[in-house]
Amino acid sequence: MEQRLANTWRMTVNEKKFIETALLSDLRVDGRRPFDYRKLTIKFGREDGSSEVQLGETHVMGYVTSQLVQPYRDRPNEGTLAIFTEFSPMADPSFEAGRPGESAVELGRVIDRGLRESRAVDMESLCVVAGKSVWAIRVDLHILDNGGNLIDAANIAALAALLTFQRPECTLGGENGQEVIVHDPEVREPLPLIVHHLPVAVTFAIFDEGNIMVIDPTYKEEAVMGGRMTATLNSNGDVCAVQKAGGEGVMSSVIMQCLRIASVKAADITSKIKDAVDAYNTERALRKVKRHPPSVALEVSVPDVIMKENQVDELSRHRAQNLKDEPERSCSNDGTSIGVEISTSRGKNNAFIGGPSSWDPYSKGISSCFIRSSQDLPGPLYLAKEQEEAKISQNSIESDPEAANTLSSGPVGASVASQQANSPKSLKDAVKPKNRKKNKASSTSDMS
Amino acid sequence: MKVEQPSDPPLNSCVDQLVVPGDTVLDLSTMSNQTIKLGEGLRQDSDKISVMKAGKLRLSKPNKYWVESSHKRYVPCVEDTILGIVVDSKPDNFLVDIKGPTLAFLPVLAFEGGTRRNIPKFEVGTLLYVRVVKANNSMNPELSCTDASGKAAEFGPLKDGYMFETSTGLARMLLSSPTCPVLEALGKKLSFEIAIGLNGRVWVNASSPATTVILSNAIMKSEFLSGTQQRIMVEKLMQKLQ
Repeated sequence: MEQRLANTWRMTVNEKKFIETALLSDLRVDGRRPFDYRKLTIKFGREDGSSEVQLGETHVMGYVTSQLVQPYRDRPNEGTLAIFTEFSPMADPSFEAGRPGESAVELGRVIDRGLRESRAVDMESLCVVAGKSVWAIRVDLHILDNGGNLIDAANIAALAALLTFQRPECTLGGENGQEVIVHDPEVREPLPLIVHHLPVAVTFAIFDEGNIMVIDPTYKEEAVMGGRMTATLNSNGDVCAVQKAGGEGVMSSVIMQCLRIASVKAADITSKIKDAVDAYNTERALRKVKRHPPSVALEVSVPDVIMKENQVDELSRHRAQNLKDEPERSCSNDGTSIGVEISTSRGKNNAFIGGPSSWDPYSKGISSCFIRSSQDLPGPLYLAKEQEEAKISQNSIESDPEAANTLSSGPVGASVASQQANSPKSLKDAVKPKNRKKNKASSTSDMS
Repeated sequence: MKVEQPSDPPLNSCVDQLVVPGDTVLDLSTMSNQTIKLGEGLRQDSDKISVMKAGKLRLSKPNKYWVESSHKRYVPCVEDTILGIVVDSKPDNFLVDIKGPTLAFLPVLAFEGGTRRNIPKFEVGTLLYVRVVKANNSMNPELSCTDASGKAAEFGPLKDGYMFETSTGLARMLLSSPTCPVLEALGKKLSFEIAIGLNGRVWVNASSPATTVILSNAIMKSEFLSGTQQRIMVEKLMQKLQ
């Protein structure tokens, strides 16, 4: 008891008078103007659907989870949305663990009303089997630090978490086609929630018997204020909810002015939330792109050359083979990855030595068309080629005169030819003669 | 963080350095006949002096050593001057909140010329500048609004102005002599009154609310700035004012 008495935050008479006097001249204690928000930071956790919002000193964490449940009887084809708030005792000495107090219930209600009544989250898309199985979305809001204006910060945390949340995809299956199978996120991409618009809560604190309104009160201003009003609007200018629970009376003209100011602030906050969510989504997408192992990265500097080499049959054949083996790599869009992809085949080629053309009836043709394109090949190839040339000298007799011929035409040509000759050996086991013909046909069409 | 070699005179090299609990600061077996006074945060373990609190080791010539750290909580110490808030009044004492583990008692007679006839009336929430008279960890601390000789000496209630809370480290920095750079720079351009409590409470009063707001924000921001940085910050604030 003594401890709690000592720990309670107390307001002095001096502070109360000062805050009120300063507001008469439009000045707030932290230097803001009456309609300025504090600095807003939105961060996301590693999991989908977890957000952390800092509004000045106030710190709120939002967490969204989903579960398959039976729908309500009167709404058999809609999902459900529930908001839970937790006022942690570390946020404020007056918060106690256990049952939510009055302010906790009010906060949960205001945010819930803003999302539900305005139908911000699409509920019908959450239905899996009408009447039997729907998704129940649960939003948990944890207050970590009470620096004033919990409603706004918690609302932003809820919106940010809902926008980045992804629920697992589920299909109907089983024996009778009625069983719901929930797919693992690794197997099927999870789906985001459909959010039509963002209802943003803007809180006003009332001072001086209803004459002065300020936005985003701090902890001290909340202790001194006469009353509070929260307006939830979206960027389209629709009023989703208004909450004014007790406190000083305010004239209707002042309320209309507040709603106008709130719509401007709501648009501003909506754009900030959207920017943060976009940045997070891009980063998440980048994380999902599977990268090649680092040893291949050395070859990346030769993308242009590789494109020209595509015209060469052997390489294109290998590329087709590689593409078949690793569909994921081909899915990535940027040019560097394609370059890397091809260089892996080149890497493989470098590893193989041997009598290439003994089984390859097309080698002569390949080398001739290679000679045509060889003039285009620039310098960097020389490095790899010289290695190949060394290998060529050890090759079978058949390849030697061929190699010698190509060598005379140009060193580059020789190495590439031998390289191409070498490369088939690696794929010899995998490639059937039929495939080679098909690929050759496709490659000729590529060349043309 | 340095574990001292017994051959060095280690205390001198540790002074004004950061130390953490467990550091051995001095090995007494190497010292000749000297008297060393240990302040808070230091403790004698037979032959060694070791550190108990994290902070900076300080020396006051000739032989007083202690560890200084900054907290948001206040541990009452005798002869500290602090700012308290009246919570309740009893027949014998006022109950005053001093940001410590327990509430403190301020006897109703502990004022200059205080008798049973002229007991002051403080409403709940009055800010007082007081001195700690008794402070044990088992009892509620006792305060007084007079200095040791019984004179008022600026103690008592503070009128108007604005109070804000900081850490104990910042309060000590503001009270240091020579004058802290931020206060010196602010004092050159603005005129104001200031009362600093060692429990981390600061009260400022100026002629206009704008000045008071600037003062409070400048002081709060100056905690982790060096001297030159503090002066630069005040310069920028003054330019904005004009």
